[in-house]
Amino acid sequence: MNVTVGTVLPGFTATFTRADLVRYAGASTDFNPIHWSDTMAAELGLPGVVAHGMLTMGTALRVATDWIGDPGRVRSYYVRFTKPVVVDELAGGEVTFSGTVTAVADGVATIALEAIHAEAKVLGSAVVEVLVD
Amino acid sequence: MPISEAHAGRSYPPTEPYQISRAKIAEFAAALGDGDNPAYGGTDPIAPPTFAVVLSSAAWGAIFDDPELELSLSRTVHTDQRFAWNRPLRAGDEVTAQLTIEQVRARGPMAFVTIAVHLVTTAGEDVCTATSTLLHRAVAA
Repeated sequence: MNVTVGTVLPGFTATFTRADLVRYAGASTDFNPIHWSDTMAAELGLPGVVAHGMLTMGTALRVATDWIGDPGRVRSYYVRFTKPVVVDELAGGEVTFSGTVTAVADGVATIALEAIHAEAKVLGSAVVEVLVD
Repeated sequence: MPISEAHAGRSYPPTEPYQISRAKIAEFAAALGDGDNPAYGGTDPIAPPTFAVVLSSAAWGAIFDDPELELSLSRTVHTDQRFAWNRPLRAGDEVTAQLTIEQVRARGPMAFVTIAVHLVTTAGEDVCTATSTLLHRAVAA
């Protein structure tokens, strides 16, 4: 694979539903009620149920793993959780994911990821390092 | 005394070994909407990279159960997350998770706590380090 700085990776849009959050809660064992109870979320000052940050982080990584093919090539991954993704009970919560190669050196490509919800970045400084040939 | 800079460097005993199953990998991949990725299926699957959180978060209880730190999960916000892998986690791995407090930055009632969880197989292989920053708000005195 010929990887060059500036390569734009195919992105995608995902709509998280309350069912997706319940499923991720069980799979990840993170049962924090802010991910399923509007009442508990409101007590913490949130506008409503929010997605697990780790669900957004894990979903964003698919931009890199779908592109590189083998997810076993991922060597590091960092994100800051900058804003919550609010998941409406009926409409869900839409997030658009994208990525760009920002560096290639010594067999490692660095990819900057972006996740946008309600016109705001929900992940900050999201960077993945993957092994390339 | 609640959590302070003095607690940096404190380590806790590792968790009991957790054996990663094909079924749990499939469940986690499906929860990420990535259930069709062939790497996560078949007879010898690897785990999605962020599966590491299933193991690392199991070690978080150590700090919330440490009475000296006076931490409460309900007053904690996860502000950032880093993973560094030496290789992918895979079905059959038996993994322990050991938490170390790396850094504490206290600002009045707020404390930024950086914790590193080392994921090591029972065969002694260092597979992944999961580093998290938690923002904790102490209750008013």
